[in-house]
Amino acid sequence: MTGTTRLEPEIALERLATFGVYQDPSAFAVDGVVPRVALAVSSPEAVAEVLAVCAAAELGVIPWGGGGQMGLGNVPERYDVALDLRGLSRIVQYEPADLTIAVQAGRTLADLEEALAANGQMLPIDAAEPERITVGGLVATGLGCPRRFGHGSLRDLIIGITVALPDGTLAKGGGIVVKNVSGYDMMRLHFGALGALGVIVQANFKVLPAPEAQRSVLLAFADAAAAAEAALTLRGSQLAPTALVVLAPPVVRQLDLGMTGWVLAARCEGPEAAVIRQADRLRESGGIAAREADVLDREQTIAFWRALQSLLDARPQRDRLRLRIGERPSRLSELAGHVVTELGSALAGLVLDYGSGLAYVTVSGTVDALRLAWDKLAEVGQHAVLLAAPAAVKVGTDVFGRHPDGIAVMRRLKETFDPDRVLNRGRFIAHL
Amino acid sequence: MDRAAIRERLVSIVGADGVLDRPDELLVYEYDASDEVFAGHHHPDFVVLPRTAEQVSAIVRLANEVGLPVIPRGAGTGLAGGALALRGGILVVLTRMNRILEVNERDGYAVVEPGVINLELSNALQPRGYFFAPDPASQRACTIGGNVGNNSGGPHCLKYGVTTNHILGLEVVLPDGERIWTGGPVPETPGVDLTGVLVGSEGTLGIVTKVMVRLTRLPEAVSVLLAAFPDIESASHGTSAIIAAGILPAALEMMDHLTIKAVEDAFHAGYPREAGAVLLVELDGLQEIVTENTTRVAEICRQHGAWEVRVARTKEERDLLWLGRKSAFGAMGRLASNYYLVDTTVPRTKLPATMRRVEELSREYKLSIANVFHAGDGNLHPLVLFDRQRPGEVERVLECTTEILRYCVDVGGTLSGEHGIGFEKRDYMTLVFTTEDLCAMAGLKKSFDPRELFNPEKVLPSGFRCAEVGLFRQQALAQRLGLEYV
Ligand SMILES: Cc1cc2nc3c(=O)[nH]c(=O)nc-3n(C[C@H](O)[C@H](O)[C@H](O)COP(=O)(O)OP(=O)(O)OC[C@H]3O[C@@H](n4cnc5c(N)ncnc54)[C@H](O)[C@@H]3O)c2cc1C
Ligand SMILES: Cc1cc2nc3c(=O)[nH]c(=O)nc-3n(C[C@H](O)[C@H](O)[C@H](O)COP(=O)(O)OP(=O)(O)OC[C@H]3O[C@@H](n4cnc5c(N)ncnc54)[C@H](O)[C@@H]3O)c2cc1C
Repeated sequence: MTGTTRLEPEIALERLATFGVYQDPSAFAVDGVVPRVALAVSSPEAVAEVLAVCAAAELGVIPWGGGGQMGLGNVPERYDVALDLRGLSRIVQYEPADLTIAVQAGRTLADLEEALAANGQMLPIDAAEPERITVGGLVATGLGCPRRFGHGSLRDLIIGITVALPDGTLAKGGGIVVKNVSGYDMMRLHFGALGALGVIVQANFKVLPAPEAQRSVLLAFADAAAAAEAALTLRGSQLAPTALVVLAPPVVRQLDLGMTGWVLAARCEGPEAAVIRQADRLRESGGIAAREADVLDREQTIAFWRALQSLLDARPQRDRLRLRIGERPSRLSELAGHVVTELGSALAGLVLDYGSGLAYVTVSGTVDALRLAWDKLAEVGQHAVLLAAPAAVKVGTDVFGRHPDGIAVMRRLKETFDPDRVLNRGRFIAHL
Repeated sequence: MDRAAIRERLVSIVGADGVLDRPDELLVYEYDASDEVFAGHHHPDFVVLPRTAEQVSAIVRLANEVGLPVIPRGAGTGLAGGALALRGGILVVLTRMNRILEVNERDGYAVVEPGVINLELSNALQPRGYFFAPDPASQRACTIGGNVGNNSGGPHCLKYGVTTNHILGLEVVLPDGERIWTGGPVPETPGVDLTGVLVGSEGTLGIVTKVMVRLTRLPEAVSVLLAAFPDIESASHGTSAIIAAGILPAALEMMDHLTIKAVEDAFHAGYPREAGAVLLVELDGLQEIVTENTTRVAEICRQHGAWEVRVARTKEERDLLWLGRKSAFGAMGRLASNYYLVDTTVPRTKLPATMRRVEELSREYKLSIANVFHAGDGNLHPLVLFDRQRPGEVERVLECTTEILRYCVDVGGTLSGEHGIGFEKRDYMTLVFTTEDLCAMAGLKKSFDPRELFNPEKVLPSGFRCAEVGLFRQQALAQRLGLEYV
């Protein structure tokens, strides 16, 4: 096709200087790659403008929320501009009686939670560092927490989206109503796409009433198999816990739970009376083979699940990698056995989410040891993804693991939405 | 390739009993459940009934070779003209692919073929203690593939979410004939969420040949109550108040006076005939929650003017209360020879004002409008009653429904909550979406179906063809930068 619109990179950078420019872009390094400039934008239109300029000059852009999850993704192929979105922090529309909220992408989770809590509402998300991470980052990375078992993940709650595209336009999908089949589901197109197809500037969610009461039941077992059996029993029961995880011994130690062995943790949420009885019944039906049991009250419950999430956090460290393996709940314990055997003393953490079928693995060691660990585990389970690792471990591999079917469609989506490969170049699956 | 040769190739793929092309055979496939008066009838060149995914793939490859459109179809109960062959072509009907292939309770999923009937799936799961949550009122007839195509809803979607929240993975045949699996039994499959994109795409991006559905545990306790209100407005306020109290019923449905009368005449569900509106509320979950919330909901309804609140004591009583709701569309035949079913969603808090507006329009256009809808979701279904024989009436119905839609969009609502855009509503899309929005959607379509052979003329308004997307992009960019577009 003819009609390409081109700008010299230096002229483009000059044009970009009209936006808020950070003195020191090194704070925005990704996998050790430092951008040429870091910009702060504060309106959706400005985001679109920056992208258009960058597209015309074929500059590489990485959208930046809180920077909490930059460990996820392949090593950037081209990174000229860091686009700090924290200036887009407005709540655009909030109707508590409708249980819906529209919020700009750069707003932090903590600020969003505060607005919701003031009306007795919530988004059922546990994330480490809520003061730091942003709504856009949450949507772009598309990760969920164990609480999705009871409430669904953010994917289930997103009802509208607005993105800025590299052609300089703003495009929305969905709306602010809970049922909507008007047009294609652009929300899910961008959910978990790591900002490779557009920069999210606004997301709309349905929110939930905050539960009146919360408790968590902790049950300690001598081995993984016994914990797994209890977890599967509870999973199939009508007791409806909202989260159900099994923690391996190293994690139990790190969280200082005062227990030993493999610990099953189940969360209960709802009206006071129901939560109390549910916790009792969970302990009874899950605890038959348990050696120890404990019930956490509301504050302890919130603190426990936050602390657990912090352990899973994705900031890369020099001597650590974290990966996630998807496997059916009924096979998680077998998988855990495999992981323990393969990694031996290099295994620094293992959390099994029985509510959804995900295993979070932390490995420690030298770069060589970490690479070896990834080689051993990249092919196991339904899928395996390297969530965070030193850049040296990532080079020469795809952190998203084996490619699922449909890669050809994903490529065409990238070509259609971002033909100049402006956004997160090389970082998404198949180095798109 | 001439017609006979194409027919022969189709027969070689699915067998002689799987290809229909005689005019009398095609007749039933010229319509779906959308109103023929508005959608018209459309003649496919061939109707093909495959039994396997391999056959579907071969059909699609053949269609590509000969340049014929492909239109997926389930039971044809869609209400937006989604399964119509607007440009002729091959209608691929999936009703022969109707097996439940696997039920895995431990991991919480089942794999079914697309032609499985919605209710049959839930019936099969029930003895095992599970169900498939999306339950469209057409569930006795519609297929899981159609549910996926339309991202269907139903009464229980208030608490449980719509179809997209219950689909874990799909096997699909893409417009080039390639067969792929998306998603799977565990979440967070790396890459673009193709499952999420395909659900609700109305058969325009691929043909679903297997569906991995999420199983939902049957709740420990269920309670159904019916509250009779003097009018729609008070019932709407009651609805908002229930939600605002932090109670999330499994279902919260409303019927207006006209509907109640029709239902009573036809089915004797025991609804209070004098009521201006009734709310049907189902609560489920742990026993304590259900007991407590039943009391609270009854109280809230009374506070908002309900003069009678009835709580079903047995399963039989529960079923009877539901009977009226489930047969409401069927009962409309008592009121008029034709009805036009509008599907739109407004923010819940806008319900009272919207209902007032609907009443106004009913008077203005001199058309009776019955209302039966998913109040908890703000998903309205005004049924505009008419008689197609009367001159000018069809035009009036169209004008009236356009006004309803326009109003709903103006108050922050949307064009369709569950029936889809299809052919019927595609030209309304510009009421909600800008050129930029629609170009992005066309870009999505183009990435799947660059030749635009899949279910053409649906969802996107005329003028948003894939071919134009690249051009638009370049122009937008040039304009944005103040550069010349060459
Ligand atoms: C194992 C694990 C489990 C987790 N569980 C949960 C959980 O259950 N629930 C939960 O909510 N969080 C969870 N998190 C954490 C959470 O996902 C991230 O911390 C958060 O999403 C990062 O937000 P951020 O604003 O810091 O994003 P950043 O680190 O700034 O960005 C993350 C990525 O998204 C892109 N991006 C950022 N903003 C945008 C945008 N507006 N548009 C397009 N692309 C953008 C960036 O380019 C980058 O590639 C989990 C993390 C891990 C590792
Ligand atoms: C009386 C009545 C009540 C209704 N109540 C509701 C309700 O409460 N909620 C609701 O949501 N809907 C309702 N509907 C609408 C309709 O029944 C649903 O949308 C249903 O899901 C359509 O299923 P179907 O098998 O009939 O699909 P069809 O009408 O055959 O097709 C619907 C769409 O899906 C596509 N499609 C079908 N099968 C496939 C496949 N295998 N792969 C890809 N695309 C496919 C078609 O191309 C078409 O665009 C109702 C309809 C009637 C007549």
